[in-house]
Amino acid sequence: MDMLRDQFMQNAVLATLFAGISCALIGVLVVTMRLSFIGVCMSHSAFAGALLGLVIGWNPLATAMLFSLAAAGALGPIADRGEFDPDTAMGVVFSSSLGLSFLLLALVPGPKTEALSLLWGSILTVTRTNLLLMAGVALGILVLLKLFYKEIEAVMFSRELALACGVPATAVFYGLLVASGLAITTSLSAIGGLLVFSLVINPAAAAYQIARNLKNMFLLAVTFGILSGWVGLALSCILNLPTGALIIVVSSIIFITATVFSPKKKKLQASIVEAGKTENG
Amino acid sequence: MNAVDLQNIYLAYRGKPALNNVSLCVPSGSLLGIFGHNGAGKTTLLKVINGLLRPARGSVCVLGRRLNNESFTEIRKQTAYVPQNIKVDPRMPITAFDVVMMGRFGKIGLLKQPNTRDINAATTAMELLEVLHLADRLYGEISGGEQQRISIARAIAQEPSLLLLDEPTNSIDWEFRSRLGKIIEKIHSERALTTIIVSHEADFLADVCDSIAVMDKGRILGTWAREEFVREYSQSRMS
Repeated sequence: MDMLRDQFMQNAVLATLFAGISCALIGVLVVTMRLSFIGVCMSHSAFAGALLGLVIGWNPLATAMLFSLAAAGALGPIADRGEFDPDTAMGVVFSSSLGLSFLLLALVPGPKTEALSLLWGSILTVTRTNLLLMAGVALGILVLLKLFYKEIEAVMFSRELALACGVPATAVFYGLLVASGLAITTSLSAIGGLLVFSLVINPAAAAYQIARNLKNMFLLAVTFGILSGWVGLALSCILNLPTGALIIVVSSIIFITATVFSPKKKKLQASIVEAGKTENG
Repeated sequence: MNAVDLQNIYLAYRGKPALNNVSLCVPSGSLLGIFGHNGAGKTTLLKVINGLLRPARGSVCVLGRRLNNESFTEIRKQTAYVPQNIKVDPRMPITAFDVVMMGRFGKIGLLKQPNTRDINAATTAMELLEVLHLADRLYGEISGGEQQRISIARAIAQEPSLLLLDEPTNSIDWEFRSRLGKIIEKIHSERALTTIIVSHEADFLADVCDSIAVMDKGRILGTWAREEFVREYSQSRMS
């Protein structure tokens, strides 16, 4: 508790709170719409963008945001049109941004500390500005979710059917991609470019195993996201190990536990057995 | 007035024509079946009517309005579309009732919440399709036939002027199949709908529809009244 008196620790607690909320919320969208690979591509593009900012002397957060939104702008139509295999296209974007990241890492002048902190995250050095941005994005996503909940629910279920009954599904889909880009980018300096995606996927994937309605899934994902952040942070202070990595380890443990004890899994197995019996009998 | 008026529609997938110079007029209030084998272009035709696919050539008029960027959303609110099947993960946390309620979302409009009238419309549609007992079950958990009935209930809940059904008997068991035909006829007449049913099941179309258009290789070969279609179809089966 004494640690919480320090300003940097208070910032870290708030950063994990905001990252936990925004990443978990967009995680629900990414997991239910099966867009995991798009999220991976966007987080790696954001990392490459941040490194470019360091190389050319611009604000890394601004360039990360630009790259992330550019990736969203490029990947959206790929998922949309299906002119060629989206997995292949996203694989190309993913490997290109990773290659570009390592190239830019080599080009960063002077000591690589800041660049490496973007890779692994540095939650204890989060600035007040970063914190405000993270809070703004988390709040913005919450507000959008509240205002357009039914449209988002319809798009998550089926974009084609949402479109067919007059829901502006394309606008909602691209809005979600932009929100994902913003959440990933603002969490980059705290969680790290290589790890942020786990904070997007793991809490939402854990909630997916348990929740029986969408509102509960959002609530559970946010709870798991915040829990992962705070437990990871506490463990990092106790064990003196990297915070970002421990947050991901905790979120992975939550996911594994949820999967093993998933009530849906049991129900699904029971219905498969039931169907088998009906077919045979 | 024609509810649907298609003129010289051409649409191709990767250079291969799926609809080749198709023209079709569907008068308001009619119950039209579109019969054809797999790959005939039936689903593509329904998607063109709903504006989900845009033809490379030709004009599409639906409910008296030409389909374009300005009219798409408004026309879709009046047009309910039931696809062949919706692939959903069994664990997707969306209940059958949620799915039926989604049919109302376009009409409710942005920034507004469903009210009692919307809930009643969804409940009535589920009662009509005999699936109200599935309301709290996850959509992905229920059987294919039940999912199909939920999809039809979703379309009915929308309270459309034009109902488009793509292979509605998919996964439906034989016992419910004839009841489904009666339910479609009942909704069609009570709600003064224009209904288009696409199917490869000639018997089902002959039972339910007033007239039937036959498609093959992206073309409409002709449209027959129910009795004529039955005669033609039985003859072609005999020969």
